[in-house]
Amino acid sequence: MYAYDTFDRNIIDARVAEFRDQVERRMKGELTEEEFRPLRLMNGLYLQLHAYMLRVAVPYGTMSSKQMHRLADIATKYDKGYGHFTTRQNIQYNWPKLVETPDILTELADVEMHAHQTSGNCIRNTTTDQFAGATRDEVEDPRPYAELIRQWSTFHPEFSFLPRKFKIAITGAGQDRAAVKWHDIGLILRKNTEGEIGFEVIVGGGMGRTPVIGKTIREFLPEADLLSYLEAILRVYNEQGRRDNKYKARIKILVDALGAEEYGRLTEAEWHKIKDQHIDVPEEEVARIKAFFTPPPLPVLSDDVEEVDTFARENFIFKSWLENNTNPHKVLGHVNVTISLKPHDGIPGDATDAQMHFVADLAEKYSQSEIRVSHEQNLILPHVAKKDLPEIWKALDANGLGSANVGLLTDMIVCPGMDYCALANARSIPIGQAIADRFDDIRRLQDIGPLKLKISGCINSCGHHHAGHIGILGVDRRGEENYQISLGGSGAEDATKAALLGPGFDEHGIVDAVEKVVAVYLGEREEGEEFLATYRRLGPTPFKEAVYDAD
Amino acid sequence: MAKKIKGPQLIIANRLDDGRVVFMTENGNWTPDVARAAVADTPEGVEALEVQASTSEKSNLVVDTQAVPAETGDAAFPAHMKQAMQAKGPSVRPDLGYQVSKTWETDAQEGN
Ligand code: SF4
Repeated sequence: MYAYDTFDRNIIDARVAEFRDQVERRMKGELTEEEFRPLRLMNGLYLQLHAYMLRVAVPYGTMSSKQMHRLADIATKYDKGYGHFTTRQNIQYNWPKLVETPDILTELADVEMHAHQTSGNCIRNTTTDQFAGATRDEVEDPRPYAELIRQWSTFHPEFSFLPRKFKIAITGAGQDRAAVKWHDIGLILRKNTEGEIGFEVIVGGGMGRTPVIGKTIREFLPEADLLSYLEAILRVYNEQGRRDNKYKARIKILVDALGAEEYGRLTEAEWHKIKDQHIDVPEEEVARIKAFFTPPPLPVLSDDVEEVDTFARENFIFKSWLENNTNPHKVLGHVNVTISLKPHDGIPGDATDAQMHFVADLAEKYSQSEIRVSHEQNLILPHVAKKDLPEIWKALDANGLGSANVGLLTDMIVCPGMDYCALANARSIPIGQAIADRFDDIRRLQDIGPLKLKISGCINSCGHHHAGHIGILGVDRRGEENYQISLGGSGAEDATKAALLGPGFDEHGIVDAVEKVVAVYLGEREEGEEFLATYRRLGPTPFKEAVYDAD
Repeated sequence: MAKKIKGPQLIIANRLDDGRVVFMTENGNWTPDVARAAVADTPEGVEALEVQASTSEKSNLVVDTQAVPAETGDAAFPAHMKQAMQAKGPSVRPDLGYQVSKTWETDAQEGN
């Protein structure tokens, strides 16, 4: 893992001291709310429905046991004993006090964490594959590049007041688990025919009220040119992006207006002007950063472990968990374990302080003290020896975290919605819970197979509903919560926008609608065909008929 | 001239220091107990509440003060979904909201 140098340390210490002073001045009335609001947002502190909310960055979703223990301690000491893991691989606290936030930031800085770039119109925390550096289907670990981007973008003076927020995602794997095509910039690590490392560069993706899938403007960018090329993309956007209308300010609107080809041309032209200005860091610096991400020395073991197979034969839930919640590791005989934060009756993405400590302890014992957060709001133990799986699952199960539903219908992304969020039009969490209730049986879920359901409480789409195989959007219909259903979205390498099926439902009707959609799939699927493939083959008509049939 | 209003209104805000949801009472204090919220049902009445609220905002007690539609049955309560949620706390964590404890841990700080 990356470790701060004195430069990193000085930056965050100075920022905490500055914010402490700003809070004091606000409390004394020396700063008005108008003056203070942008300052607190620059430190990840929002004001939500019930209280302030602090969003803490987990850069590229990687943290240590020590950091997770600290997050748990903060939940106990300054919050109400829990936190919420988000689709940007970050964590939010729902009840911090303004006057205590500088202390929270001090405790975070102590373990090399912070809350900047989690709000505001700047370059936000770069997200990546939760299995980065550990999965078998990977060209190269994307995290050193994400770290480079972090350092380059931290308080970047030119890009701190962009037309709108800016999100970058990067993956090094064949399977896109980071939804890169749905980002302002998506980067895919590739090897060219000479075996050199570079990036496919995708721009202009995004969700919100105008969902757009990003377009490739460069097939292969050599790795050494990454930062100068990003700088060129951002410069074009910063100069030409719209500032007159918040809803038209994201890069996707500009790329759409200019055309991807023209955007690419402008980027290349800008890049040629700046690429020799030492924006890219020297090779030794890249090597220094890469060294922090050296894979742990794991012994090569067999993928077939007798005691694991035996236990799987005895225990159906463990068998499902093994199938759904583990991902093959680079090193034989190892896996990456996904801990589902979608237990029955739980709140998707929420973890209590006790659970956080427990996961941190597990990581110390089984995963080199390393933990990942996925954009699907789960936690990951990378580098786990397969032989340890029965023991790990039993421990998880005893702590309410043994759910085997990863990748299945109840492993939903659900945004906080009107239970917490000031921008919401409707609640999301109770809908997720009602659907989870309806599909409670693991055998049934297993039979339905891979299905991504995603729920947002408003068109800002934090719940990624546009990318859901089944997407649900909460809207306000004359003061009542109403839920629209869309089908056929994907956040993976075959990214597609979900299409609205028809009029919305109330909170009970939406659960029935999901059930009807699933029934059509089960009735129509071909041997081994997953939900999304069936939908793509059949189109919306049979689903529409089943859902809106005037019985 | 006071602007037109649609039905009775109450004033909701967040406390500056801890962000908790509070309502303005008759005497211009702030309370987490919605039942004690002052309700006005004339344009002049609402304007008077708003003026008082903005004084509290200026003295850095509360932020985001808003006059919102109120129901006035047995006790005052916000008429709209979002503010009703604010008054009650998250529906998915009834163990945390004001509806259960009837007290915030900092209720004693109620300002004026
Ligand atoms: S999608 Fe809307 S309701 Fe949900 S968290 Fe985002 S802004 Fe809030």
